[in-house]
Amino acid sequence: MLKEIHMPKLSPKSDQYFFGEWHKQPGDAVKEGDVLFEVETDKVISQVESQEDGVLKEQNVNTGDTTNVGDLVATIEVA
Amino acid sequence: MEKKEAPKKPEWLKVTYDQKKVDQMNDLLSGLKLNTVCAEANCPNLGECFGNGTASFIILGPNCTRACRFCDIPHGHPQPVDLLEPYRVAEATKRLGLSHVVVTSVDRDDLPDLGADQFVKTINLIRKMNPDTTIEVLTPDFQGRENCLDKVIAAKPDVFNHNMETVRSITPKVRHRATYDTSLKVLKYVKDHAPKSTFVKTGIMLGLGETDEEVYQLMDDLRAIDVDFLTIGQYVQPGPKNYRLREWVPMKRYATYYKEARKRGFRFVASSPLVRSSYKAKEELEAVYGK
Repeated sequence: MLKEIHMPKLSPKSDQYFFGEWHKQPGDAVKEGDVLFEVETDKVISQVESQEDGVLKEQNVNTGDTTNVGDLVATIEVA
Repeated sequence: MEKKEAPKKPEWLKVTYDQKKVDQMNDLLSGLKLNTVCAEANCPNLGECFGNGTASFIILGPNCTRACRFCDIPHGHPQPVDLLEPYRVAEATKRLGLSHVVVTSVDRDDLPDLGADQFVKTINLIRKMNPDTTIEVLTPDFQGRENCLDKVIAAKPDVFNHNMETVRSITPKVRHRATYDTSLKVLKYVKDHAPKSTFVKTGIMLGLGETDEEVYQLMDDLRAIDVDFLTIGQYVQPGPKNYRLREWVPMKRYATYYKEARKRGFRFVASSPLVRSSYKAKEELEAVYGK
């Protein structure tokens, strides 16, 4: 089953963040709690963890992109 | 999508974010219509503290009557005092099972008691509903008014915190209607009049352009009035209109300041970039109590 990962709300004050680095590449196995990617908000660099076990299928944003809360970030094939 | 250069924030600003725990915490707090300083000030430790079931409640908000240039709390027309707020803070403390709770507030220069009574009610209700929970208040300067300080002191919080925020020379540049000397006076008055069991605490931010000498002078000023706890953390500029960040202070300097502060006799010192006034406040009290 494919599961879409959307940009979570990481800052109470802002809904637009700069996308940092990917920690997983398409085809990589992902476990719950693994860091998937980094996002720069107003005050910090947030490392966002996976909520699922599975395989990363697709990355929908790149480093340096401006992303909004709710944007499709990735797709995971859930085990 | 718009392109921008890769983030330049330092490595230590990386924090992990546990969406499930933050959602749980937000659900609990939104049900109780409470404001946390964590969310209002957009704190970098929000994910970690919420993940650990810790929060600092901000009462009398959400709007502040002052517009300090370092701060992310909204400045605006103050709301009427919410008479049920003390109960909700006490109820949230209970639901979260907090062993240590921090209560802070916006400045309320519009109120006759400057907000002191709401602190007292909140302390009393937290204690009534959570007799084993230690209570820390982080207060405004109450314009240095002793009758306001007396009220809060009489409620016997375990820790009385009032932040100096920065060294003397930078204070007028970043604080609004607050002075270095008034804040020192507040801390001295509390130290002189509170029970011996109440610890007196303050905190400062680094990266605003302060020098080593100025930081050491501040430490000396605080120790001259016997302040117990000191927190030192990095200023993170909340937005383009706030006071401009001068420096990401290197880790080595935090270690030096820690040693210098301990040498001067502070009973507990937290000195690290992500330290905030209430960050790991529970651990601080435990360290002093020797638990």
